Amino acid sequence: MVRTSMIVRTQYRIAAVLVIAVVLAGAAGTGFAADAAPATHTVLIDGTRFEPETLTVRAGDTVIWINNDPFPHTATAVAGAFDSESIAPNKSWEYTTKRAGVFPYSCTLHKTMKGTLHVE
Amino acid sequence: MKTTTIAFVSTLVFVSAVAVAQEAAPNDAQIASIVVTANQVDIDAGKLAKTKASDKEVRAFARQMITDHTGVNQSATALVKKLMVKPEDNPTSASLKAGGEANVKKLKGLKGAAFDRAYVDNEVAYHQAVIDALDKTLIPSATNEELKALLVKVRPAFVAHLEHAKQMQAALAKKS
Repeated sequence: MVRTSMIVRTQYRIAAVLVIAVVLAGAAGTGFAADAAPATHTVLIDGTRFEPETLTVRAGDTVIWINNDPFPHTATAVAGAFDSESIAPNKSWEYTTKRAGVFPYSCTLHKTMKGTLHVE
Repeated sequence: MKTTTIAFVSTLVFVSAVAVAQEAAPNDAQIASIVVTANQVDIDAGKLAKTKASDKEVRAFARQMITDHTGVNQSATALVKKLMVKPEDNPTSASLKAGGEANVKKLKGLKGAAFDRAYVDNEVAYHQAVIDALDKTLIPSATNEELKALLVKVRPAFVAHLEHAKQMQAALAKKS
């Protein structure tokens, strides 16, 4: 009986240690991610739409627009921060973000296409 | 009794509407022909307008129509080949072709601002007609999933072209 309760207690202790370890690892992981190298994000241009239409990235991250349509498109910031000019079918264009802000953009060839890039 | 009669009449109307729709519904080979012809018609008009239009924006639009509709046709042709479907002429594709030829003939007789207006007016009507055909006939009738997906994928480009043409139409009307 005593032995059983001791085993149970030990199991609890092991479980508690594991839980703490996992929590610490998670926190450390998040901490490392915050300092990690800039990330790369993809916006697919398909069916005369930007997918996703809204993308949030961190300053310094790179965004790649891939044109999956059979005709050219552009990704052009309304206020002029960036402009891909014509992206041919099956080609892509990348932009490394510089400063934080909200950048609405569109395709100059198809004005129905709208997207927003949030840079944090 | 009255209710029964109304219900019966409604059913009859519905059934005949479906029968008509079925009779009119094009098959995939006919849809392929309609799509290729519709794009070609706009490419032909664009080829004329890219040099003949007097307005710079209209010329740029014409060049874009050639590029975009050529791209759509390349995709359509590649898919049709892959599916081993042979585009089949039908009354709709024949009427599109005849309409396109009549438009080019009419445009050839015009110049300057009159040409620009006639070209843009036709672009508005043409894109609206293609969108209506896509929504009412082509997309619902396509049986092959890949063909249907291609039609759905290119539809928003036609909407963008229509908006662009309408905006030019308004601008040209202000000019005159």
